[in-house]
Amino acid sequence: MSAHSIIVDDLTFQYPGGDESVLQGADLRIDSGEFTAVVGGNGSGKTTLCKTFNGLIPHFFDGTFEGSVRVDGTDTRESDVGDLSRTVGYVFQDFENQLVQETVRDDVEFAPLNYGFDDYEERATRALEMVGLADLADRFIWELSGGQQHLVALAGVLAMDPEFVVVDEPAAQLDPQNAQETYERLRWLHEEQDKTVIVIEHHSEFIAEYCDEMVLVSDGGVAWKEPAQVGLNRLDDLRAENIHPPQVTQIADAVPAGMATVSDGRYPVTVDEAETALWSESAQAGEKRSAATGTTESTSQNQSTEENTENDDGEPIITLRNVGHGYPTLREGYNQVLDGLDLDLYAGDRVALVGANGSGKSTLLRLLTGLESPDEGTVTVLGQETNDALPEELADDTVYIHQNPEEMFVEDNVRKDIGYYLKNRGADDVERRVEEILTYLDLEELADRDGRLMSLGQQRRASLGIGLATDPTVVLLDEPTGSLDLQSRREVTGILRKAESRVETVVIASHDLQLVAGWADRVIVLDDGDVIADAPPAAVFDDAELLAAADLRQPQVVELSERLGFDSPLLTTDVMVEAITKGTAPDVATSAGDDATPDTTVPNTTQTLREEQ
Amino acid sequence: MSYLTALTDISIADLKVDLMRTAYDNEDALLNTFDPRVVLLWTVLFMIIPWLFYDTLPLVTLLAAAFALAALSQVSKYLLVLLLFGQLTNIGFFVVMVPLMGGLVTGWDDLSANSSQLIDGVVAFDPSVLAEAGGIVAAAVGEGLNTALSSQQAGVEAVGAVVPFFLKLTIISVISLAVFSAMSPQKISQGMLRLGVPRQLTFAIAYGYRMMPLLVEEYHALINSFRLRSKVPEKKGVLSWRYLLYLLKLSIKAFYPLIFNVAKRSRVTVEAMETKGFSQSLSDPKSRKLRTDDMMIRPRDVSFVFGSLLFVAGVWVFL
Repeated sequence: MSAHSIIVDDLTFQYPGGDESVLQGADLRIDSGEFTAVVGGNGSGKTTLCKTFNGLIPHFFDGTFEGSVRVDGTDTRESDVGDLSRTVGYVFQDFENQLVQETVRDDVEFAPLNYGFDDYEERATRALEMVGLADLADRFIWELSGGQQHLVALAGVLAMDPEFVVVDEPAAQLDPQNAQETYERLRWLHEEQDKTVIVIEHHSEFIAEYCDEMVLVSDGGVAWKEPAQVGLNRLDDLRAENIHPPQVTQIADAVPAGMATVSDGRYPVTVDEAETALWSESAQAGEKRSAATGTTESTSQNQSTEENTENDDGEPIITLRNVGHGYPTLREGYNQVLDGLDLDLYAGDRVALVGANGSGKSTLLRLLTGLESPDEGTVTVLGQETNDALPEELADDTVYIHQNPEEMFVEDNVRKDIGYYLKNRGADDVERRVEEILTYLDLEELADRDGRLMSLGQQRRASLGIGLATDPTVVLLDEPTGSLDLQSRREVTGILRKAESRVETVVIASHDLQLVAGWADRVIVLDDGDVIADAPPAAVFDDAELLAAADLRQPQVVELSERLGFDSPLLTTDVMVEAITKGTAPDVATSAGDDATPDTTVPNTTQTLREEQ
Repeated sequence: MSYLTALTDISIADLKVDLMRTAYDNEDALLNTFDPRVVLLWTVLFMIIPWLFYDTLPLVTLLAAAFALAALSQVSKYLLVLLLFGQLTNIGFFVVMVPLMGGLVTGWDDLSANSSQLIDGVVAFDPSVLAEAGGIVAAAVGEGLNTALSSQQAGVEAVGAVVPFFLKLTIISVISLAVFSAMSPQKISQGMLRLGVPRQLTFAIAYGYRMMPLLVEEYHALINSFRLRSKVPEKKGVLSWRYLLYLLKLSIKAFYPLIFNVAKRSRVTVEAMETKGFSQSLSDPKSRKLRTDDMMIRPRDVSFVFGSLLFVAGVWVFL
């Protein structure tokens, strides 16, 4: 076995021109047959560590390299990237730039052709079949969705039939649905094709569900390597690295000690485990719970009804009437994205647009900016019909924050970028307002850096700053938490809340249900170019069919609350902790329960629990 | 403004698809069905042939044939219109430029002939001399204007002289448009590779094709970013020229961030190329052979070359 492993021995590495070592005395051993997650905070050196496996370090980046890395017994210094890549395949985080040929098949054949394999065609065919893309072999890369492109990159690696496959942050650039599909694919490769899979990952919920082993990289060294369930229970270590444990683990940690543990005394990491743990615990606590039952839950329900009535009376800020819009495409003719859509958005709405890829979320946002005019129907923003106004004029009150923050950086530092709009519009106190925004969003330290060279989380923050500097009434955000690690994601939620004090309406298009659950008060589900649901989050999360149609993945806490038999889903961990601790259904959860009367939620739970017993 | 909205409305989405079709959708294109080596050599040949003709009529016939070829190769109509527009404005430029230059030269000659007097006048700052100097300038301008107006004929003649030249350039441009939009990038690079062009270059071509749609999207997004953060000129001017100028400025500005973004992308690409064994393959004859093995020259390739040469010979003899 010893030959089939990656062994890192006391490795220290410093990038050329770098001030300090990125890796310092790292030791690690990954054996053939593992499914291992490498985690660590931003800048902890995890990507650097993984780039030593295929020799990119030290062959491509020739910094100071001490210690050794052996792959299947070969010292990487004595081999080269080309040869090592036949054993260790690498899918980059920025996979789009890894695809260098114009069609899918060409790209997958590219590496086998470079190595002069006679069977390059069969290799490509096999690899494409492995990732399930055989049908798309003749498509152009740019025609594919992000998720499909990721699979092509994976196929390109598999065509070399490597023993180890390293995938750098698959969930960072993909929406949750695609990320899950990618993980399913990786699991299949691991189980059926005997690949050793190494993922660099922030999302602990994926680690809990798919990985066997877990490596924590911290300050350039390997802090520990543990089985995934054990590793995910080392909450303090994880939090120190800004990695958020799975929601269920957080819940188990927050409730009184011993209430939610699995057999060996640790906290659960998956919904399944949490369900089991909480069943047994709550069964014991059953009596206590029913005693605590019966708190009011109608208050918040009334509140939300009031809000709705209020909204109906007020003038809508944004109105869409019978809107149809589409694009010409190369192969499929005209693609009708929106069809006969009617929608009113009011002041104070916190709107989340959700829906599967291609359901028209981004198109809808772009129509609101006036960058595109609807083919049919009318779009009115703040009383101005977008057909009659230039996007520049609409931008006086509306701001659109691009899905990819890079597209918003037009200057060479963040400060100039934030001031760009103000300067162009001849605002009088540009400098003061820019400073104000910088302070408001904690951007002072980044103010003089080039936006393009910052981390994604920082970029997102800067792009929000660029948006807020325009003092908008309406803020449109396209996938604000896309490609963000959880830390930055939490920041975004915070910023959204901050932004609310300054603007009237915020509309986000998102796949991220944790964000929707924690922030929105109105969820609009788009499907097939039209609105199929428009309701508060809890109601939407209650409808499994709807979620499936919208390609949404329930957050763990929602799934758990469903399994535990709560009548309406609990949306955040805090609410869940409260519910479990007090044995009562909290206010927020019930805001959507249409015909839920007081006292039903928890007694039901307890009843079921008793029956179970 | 309505013409502007019409312009921006048709353009972006349709233009993009049209360009994509030109560059990528070439399964039915005539030229794509031939062996790439033959097409490349044929192209080189037809870059030279137009220069052998001097009269307008045969050149026009060749141009018509080139357009027919372009139509068969599904060249973007927008590109063709742009090309023609460029050539026509070039010719128009001559009509204006020749008389103008003539006028300028005459006027300048007149001025410099009297320059000493002029300088004296200015240095002395004596009103009477100044008046005289003013007279000299006025006379020179008058002379210049006169020449400019009377040499309209010269302008038209100049155009007559350059028309064949422009025709030749247009023929070459249309042919190369047809070839490069009809042939798929794989075929072009395959053909070049077999003809001994270095791998790095053929790879660059294929990579360019891969990245182009991405860059188009990104460029569009950047322009939009600029638009949403800029202010339109308050007065749009006649035919909205100020507004057009503003858009033009934005579209130039948008290139800078685009270049930075491209540079950033290429960092990953270079690493990825290394892991895909690209640099290893450069010195590997087997890899080159595998890439070019399935090429074959068939009778129809040969007959295409001879057919087109025969056509040229016909034009040569009969027109």
